[in-house]
Amino acid sequence: MDLAFTPEELAFRDEVRAWVHTNLPKDISDKVHAAQRLSRDDMQRWARILGKKGWLGYGWPKQFGGPGWTAVQKHLFEEECALAGAPRIVPFGPVMVAPVIMAFGNAGQQQRFLPGIASGEVWWSQGYSEPGSGSDLASLKTRAERKGDKYIVNGQKTWTTLGQYGEWIFCLVRTSTEGKPQTGISFLLIDMKSPGITVRPIKLLDGECEVNEVWFDNVEVPAENLIGEENKGWTYAKHLLSHERTNIADVNRAKRELERLKRIAKTEGVWDSTLDGPSAGRFRDEIAKLEVDIVALEMLVLRVLSAEKSGKNSLDIAGLLKIRGSEIQQRYTELMMQAAGPFALPFIFEAMEAGWQGNFPGGVVANAPLASNYFNMRKTTIYGGSNEVQRNIVSQTVLG
Amino acid sequence: MDFDFSEDQEQLRDAVRKWVDKGYDFERRRSIVNAGGFDRAVYTELAELGLTGLYVSEEHGGMGMGPVEAMIAMEELGRGIVLEPLAQTLIASAVLQTHAPADLQASWLPRIAAGEAIVVLAHQERGARHHLDRCKAEAKEAGGQWTVSGTKSIVPVGDVADAFIVPALAGGQMALFLVERGAAGVKAEGYVTQDGSRAAEVAFSNSPAQLITQNGLTALQEAADIGSACICAEGVGVMDKTLAITAEYMNTRKQFGVPIASFQALRHRLADMKMQLELARSMSYYASLKLKAPEAERRQAMARARVQLGTSMRFVGQSAVQLHGGIGVTDEYIVSHYFKKLTQLEMTFSDTLHHLGEVSNRMQDTAGVFA
Repeated sequence: MDLAFTPEELAFRDEVRAWVHTNLPKDISDKVHAAQRLSRDDMQRWARILGKKGWLGYGWPKQFGGPGWTAVQKHLFEEECALAGAPRIVPFGPVMVAPVIMAFGNAGQQQRFLPGIASGEVWWSQGYSEPGSGSDLASLKTRAERKGDKYIVNGQKTWTTLGQYGEWIFCLVRTSTEGKPQTGISFLLIDMKSPGITVRPIKLLDGECEVNEVWFDNVEVPAENLIGEENKGWTYAKHLLSHERTNIADVNRAKRELERLKRIAKTEGVWDSTLDGPSAGRFRDEIAKLEVDIVALEMLVLRVLSAEKSGKNSLDIAGLLKIRGSEIQQRYTELMMQAAGPFALPFIFEAMEAGWQGNFPGGVVANAPLASNYFNMRKTTIYGGSNEVQRNIVSQTVLG
Repeated sequence: MDFDFSEDQEQLRDAVRKWVDKGYDFERRRSIVNAGGFDRAVYTELAELGLTGLYVSEEHGGMGMGPVEAMIAMEELGRGIVLEPLAQTLIASAVLQTHAPADLQASWLPRIAAGEAIVVLAHQERGARHHLDRCKAEAKEAGGQWTVSGTKSIVPVGDVADAFIVPALAGGQMALFLVERGAAGVKAEGYVTQDGSRAAEVAFSNSPAQLITQNGLTALQEAADIGSACICAEGVGVMDKTLAITAEYMNTRKQFGVPIASFQALRHRLADMKMQLELARSMSYYASLKLKAPEAERRQAMARARVQLGTSMRFVGQSAVQLHGGIGVTDEYIVSHYFKKLTQLEMTFSDTLHHLGEVSNRMQDTAGVFA
């Protein structure tokens, strides 16, 4: 048992840190540190910089052009990026669909799709959820009918994150209604420029259009875009969900946001009870609790990484990461908003843009995104398998 | 960064677990509680396992092991809610080994390691609550002989221990002394505490004492932090077993014609217990691995760990009783005893609110396992 990273791991971390420091554009990291709005260009600019270095697919094995890092190295890379204020890597291409193409796609599909994902040139979206299929994803109804060398796709996907930017979308589609719902699902890659696709952004409670509805009306998809075998898509999707288990906890971003919360608390006078009275002391104690929560989550992540390193089964604790990580994301945004108190209430949409020159009420424009971030983060305990579904899974591992 | 246990450590765990499973069943424990909460024969069995000498150097007849081995032992004893106070033995060995003069070490450490002498920390005073620096007991020196006067409360096995480690003010500065229970002017009144273990009010009146160290507060803080790491580990063991007991009960108990494990409201509570257990286990590792860090880092780590453990122990204990229903609040059934143990652990070596205050006071701009 040893808490310290090995000298090799520390050297690796220093190398990544130096590279990120040199290559992350300051205008982008400034926005991330201030929780200002990121444009498509911001996200893709960083993706291309990583892609050029060969680190966008940072979880990829060497045989597919990835760096072949260990679980610990991947964690350290994520940590350095998060602490430096890099935007989160848009996961749909490099983190989600790429591993499926590697594991179940044929050589032609790998050669065709992986380079565009690795370089950050092609924007991928995910087509899983449907209006009638949320937690019960296997009930999905979007049909794909084989006609000759094509599939004809009809139906509707929803909650497609950043789908308004999407160039390709990987979809779970129904190819059979025989047997159990899970056994009639296929994994299909679809060009979003195909005739018959309509994307409609959904405005969320924070006023942002982060997700979309995607309609498929007699969309023709070449049969060669089917991954693996027909009706085996559910298995491939589960493989996807088992990937990058520690990343979902997002503990590194939480550490960065805890630093920001402390800065906000100081500015807003809820940090020092000797200056600002007992309620400041109570607020500070809430931050202290969050600090404990974040350290505990980090230890949990490190335990999972250690188990992966030594090839041991960590499934019983990996299932906890999503629940805890998402709760913590909600908690720090909640505390940031509460720190600003009434000065979190003005809703000035433009004030979340970098360089906005207006007067924000109270004079602290950094408060502008706090309430919106709080509202936005309610999604974290809902998406990726709601936390209630996660608890069902955890209880199953305990009860046997 | 590696959280695997070595082969030797796994063997230690197996040995203690076997003893708990075979040698310390619930009926034996109950008879010990009824007899006053401490059994010297059990303590001797712990010595035979080598546990009383776990921290004692090989030179003094012990095993010279470290915090990870101590953590493993305490976890396993926790699984059996063992009453006999190994944590006190670990604290006493560490304090004497780090701070006592050589002759004091030579006369006590071999006997502690062999299980022949029980030495416990007697530091709690009524007016001090969780402030380790508040102390009314006083020490005087005359003709090269120290004497200690004062009263200490809730001293573990205080009326059966062979000697005490006693903080007392010497010329206004806290120092630590070793006082034998058989010394003149020592009066111990024993009683049973809520978890079934034994404690005592111990009064010292001009009792002959041997100086351990003039640097009393530093040593006492170290002792309390070792105690906290022990509580974390023991708490993890208690919770681990509590969760297992509860899961088994949910799988067997039937209502409405089906096992209650089929009800989602109950399953989610169980999932939350598992969450609290694993967060606590993570922070227990953290506490033990930071026990030898520089003081400020160590203190911060212990406070963080105790906040997590306190939260977890309370949730797991209360939930276990709730999920059992009526049988959970009976004395006859085992789970209430685990609940009471968890409750008492949270209130030993300062409580959760105190530790939260410590975390709060020690916060820096950055935070994390490595910051």
